[in-house]
Amino acid sequence: MLGLAADRLRADTNRLLAFLFHQGILDEQFLQLQQLEDESSPNFVSEVVNIYFHESEKLLRNLRSLLMDRELSDYNKMGIHLNQFMGSSSSIGAKRIRNVCVAFRAASEQNNRAGCLRALELLEHEYCFLKNKLHELFQIQQQRVLAAGVRYPMQN
Amino acid sequence: MAAMQRVMQSNVSTSAATSSCYGGLSSCKGEEVMISDQFPAGLRVLVVDDDITCLRILEQMLRRCLYIVTTCSQAKVALNLLRERKGCFDVILSDVYMPDMDGYKLLEHVGLEMDLPVIMMSADGRTSAVMKGIRHGACDYLIKPIREEELKNIWQHVVRKKWNENKELEHSGSLGDADRHKGGNDDAEYVSSVNDATDASLKPLKKRSNTKEEDDDEIDNDDPSTSKKPRVVWSVELHQQFVSAVNQLGIDKAVPKRILELMNVPGLTRENVASHLQKFRLYLKRISGVAQQGGISNPLCGPLEPNVKIGSLGRFNIQALASSGQIPPQTLAALHAELLGRPTSNLVTAMDQPALLQASLQGPNCIQVDHGVTFVQPLVKCESSSSKHFPQSFPPVEEVTSGFRAWPSNNIGTAGPSNNGGPNSQNGNMLIDLLQQQQQLQKPQQQSIVPELRRSINVQPSCHVAPSQSSGFQAGNSPVSVTQNGSFSRTAVIDYNLLSSQSNCSSLSIGHVSDVNLQTTGILSGYIPPASVSPSVSSCSVNADNCASQQVQTSNMIYKASRNFPGFVHSTSNVQDPYGSTKSGDLLDQAPFNNLGFINKGTCLPARFPVREYQSPLCSSSLGKVFSENIGTRVKQEDNAQVGIPMLHHFPPNDLMSVFTE
Repeated sequence: MLGLAADRLRADTNRLLAFLFHQGILDEQFLQLQQLEDESSPNFVSEVVNIYFHESEKLLRNLRSLLMDRELSDYNKMGIHLNQFMGSSSSIGAKRIRNVCVAFRAASEQNNRAGCLRALELLEHEYCFLKNKLHELFQIQQQRVLAAGVRYPMQN
Repeated sequence: MAAMQRVMQSNVSTSAATSSCYGGLSSCKGEEVMISDQFPAGLRVLVVDDDITCLRILEQMLRRCLYIVTTCSQAKVALNLLRERKGCFDVILSDVYMPDMDGYKLLEHVGLEMDLPVIMMSADGRTSAVMKGIRHGACDYLIKPIREEELKNIWQHVVRKKWNENKELEHSGSLGDADRHKGGNDDAEYVSSVNDATDASLKPLKKRSNTKEEDDDEIDNDDPSTSKKPRVVWSVELHQQFVSAVNQLGIDKAVPKRILELMNVPGLTRENVASHLQKFRLYLKRISGVAQQGGISNPLCGPLEPNVKIGSLGRFNIQALASSGQIPPQTLAALHAELLGRPTSNLVTAMDQPALLQASLQGPNCIQVDHGVTFVQPLVKCESSSSKHFPQSFPPVEEVTSGFRAWPSNNIGTAGPSNNGGPNSQNGNMLIDLLQQQQQLQKPQQQSIVPELRRSINVQPSCHVAPSQSSGFQAGNSPVSVTQNGSFSRTAVIDYNLLSSQSNCSSLSIGHVSDVNLQTTGILSGYIPPASVSPSVSSCSVNADNCASQQVQTSNMIYKASRNFPGFVHSTSNVQDPYGSTKSGDLLDQAPFNNLGFINKGTCLPARFPVREYQSPLCSSSLGKVFSENIGTRVKQEDNAQVGIPMLHHFPPNDLMSVFTE
């Protein structure tokens, strides 16, 4: 019974991950993250991802407030935020988000406000989706832990 | 395997620590740890990145490479850390875009002051950006996302740089025979290693480690000051003499032979002087190049960079001014001399600058006047960027025996005329702070010594460094008033001799001056919030034992902490004992602060907080539904996610640009 639950959960994990990779939402950098998780840092992936979420939300808020400022859109500052967002997104393997950032950066360099707005919306969309999915992943992971009664790293 | 790795890691860090001096047991010579038995394990890396995500990932990756990692999210803090512990890092990884200081500026500072290899990182992989990095002197440029394999190889830059320096030294002819042999070998191998890939550099490395086993004495990891090489150690007085000789001759006319004659130091060879002169000239060139870049109010200077550059080093102003001829060359040389912080002999060169400056300034009074005059303008300009300055380079760890409080006493003992003082110019008003803070916090013995140690006039770097943010030190106010006077009293006060005795205090003040988000434990050493004394104590005892606190420390490094500074002050006394043995130059644990919650918050599934905020920007109502739910209803979310998927079809990745062309 327990075994079945564990199997099912593992299958869920794999399916979810496969889906994310297939859709290009995550790339192999995420695998690197998973490989970095070991006994000395058992929750490394979730820790890093949560840091990422925290930071990204700040960045997204900043970007939005910069864009909403109709008088003077500070594209330089936007570029800086974007750069950081790009860096962290690519570091955790959020490929799609990173791609949107690239497009966003291009629009900001052209001072294309409409383009930036569209990119920002897309970015927020992608971000929310990713966050949703990763939370799901962590939740399955937690359930696996509960089911098995043993802690083990995400990839198993 | 993970367990093995962990054990290995702790072993490595222990052995590396004992050989690298963090615990203060042995001296912390910068190059010592480079060639240990397990090289490149134990390489001491400083990572600077404002992006916490990347910082954490890099930290983990570097740990896996068995390096000793120190993380820092603010460039200024990192710079202070570097200045404090000149010999305690081997390589620096720095992000390019950082809010408080441009990564390139950090790169230049490090190159000028510490001459450590700096590797830049950025998400921006465009050729122009990479080119800029190379132009500024970066050893390498990594593009995010960074893979572990890339990090495994960063040791090559350390090795390469060392051998480059060695080669320089060898050419000066001041090495003994045995060293010549080795040098010859290394030269040949080095040349090949430079041209080839990493493989080639492995060869000389192995050779070194082989010969190291044979004759341990001779090549002590390239560290000249500890080996028995007949290499000249450029002590403070010696350098002082050198600079005064150069001044006398005129920087352009200074030839080694004449300098040697003027210096009249027995045992000094022309070659020694020549190599030193060469380095000196290079330094002048670099500084003037940088200064011109930075620019000041001097009309003759080129385009001005923001005051960040200028403010950070008052000496740059001097440079620019010098280039316009406002400063007599001797002064220029003297001031340049202060900048020589080559880590080739950490201990020694560290001592050069203050005494040097001192000596040069004790000369003709008119020079000081000039300083006063020339400083006024840049100083005014620098006011705004004052917060960037922190006391610089403190005596290398080896001077410090154990004990946080013990530092001042030890240093005072040695900070006599020979002046161990940590080098470097930028003392600014911070030293006044430190002085007073010391008096407040430290043993009274220092007070008596302090006035003794005060020399007449030292150049004060332009900006004052009032710990504006902190309230703990009343001393903070005094520098402000001093600065605002714009009088010569500014320049008169700083005494480099005091640096050594103030080193620990500086760390106190640094902790104060730095932003609320205190990110470096080293700087906050000694400040442990009362609430978390116990965990820190326990971890401190661990550190005391191992002298390898890196693992514990670095994990604390990235924690943001909005601290009550007064709390720090009070807690210092609490932790005096536990830190007694570990303080010596070690990065103390910044015990997990309460604001650890910033991370803790993240680890509990925070579905609510951030999600809600995005409900509005979301244009799709279906996705909005998704996020209004709690964790408990994840299942539902899955369904909604299905709904969400078709949304994605609207924005296929390859059509991103079409979004903008609509």
